[in-house]
Amino acid sequence: MTKADDRLAALFAEDAPPARDPAFTAEVMAAVARRRLWSDLAGLAVAALIGGLVIWALWPLLGPAIVAASAGLAPIAAALTVALLAWLVADPAMVHRLRGES
Amino acid sequence: MIHAAGDPELLAAARAGSSAAFARLVERHQQGLRAFLRRTCGDWALADDLAQETFLTAWSRIGTLREDASVRAWLCGIGYRKHLTALRTRARDRARDTAWQAEKPPSSSGTMTDERLALEAALGELPADQRACVALCLAADFSHAEAAEALGLPLGTVKSHVTRGRARLLQALGEDHDEG
Repeated sequence: MTKADDRLAALFAEDAPPARDPAFTAEVMAAVARRRLWSDLAGLAVAALIGGLVIWALWPLLGPAIVAASAGLAPIAAALTVALLAWLVADPAMVHRLRGES
Repeated sequence: MIHAAGDPELLAAARAGSSAAFARLVERHQQGLRAFLRRTCGDWALADDLAQETFLTAWSRIGTLREDASVRAWLCGIGYRKHLTALRTRARDRARDTAWQAEKPPSSSGTMTDERLALEAALGELPADQRACVALCLAADFSHAEAAEALGLPLGTVKSHVTRGRARLLQALGEDHDEG
């Protein structure tokens, strides 16, 4: 490093940005969060589209099976609903626990 | 914990999805990247925009960086390629070509010394790749090898760019060009 290099380095250092710039960092992280949100939404949209296509393609097989199963499952679903309601009525604190309240 | 971590630990955590680790990397490298881009493109607002885009690209490509690679060289490389793209875009608008000096805000001290003006003018006259080599090796203490890796240029080209660029800058400052 010569004296001339030192002089150059000193002149270059005069216009350096601050070592810490919370505003810039926050801006970058907000842009990253936006990018991540859009990327997640795009992933979910693709997954929903694929799921919809799969159900559409399999509906000739799934439709009759669901109709046949639903007739048999209806009494069980009704019994489970009544049991759950009875449980919640018997123990109101459970409602708060289910809501995540302490 | 994150504040004391080195780049490799922060990289690993950011790869695993830690926003805090990536924010720490941004905090740590924003000064060097923005200084490099300010010197290479001359327009401070554009340089900061490019720096932000660089970090966004880095976030989306963080999985491609080798664990032992230099983060600052990687970031400067991305930033330099974004600058070249911006240059090509700007070249379509010839009216803005002369704005290099006009758009430059004053230095932090409020007024620019004659030396600083001479340096800025000389820097602005250098070709883009030569300016980038000078900005990395003379202003940011990059080794020639590190600058070559960051800019994707052969080592010999970087060395000759730095030598020629340094001579031009020293000449503009009225210094005798030595071989140091």
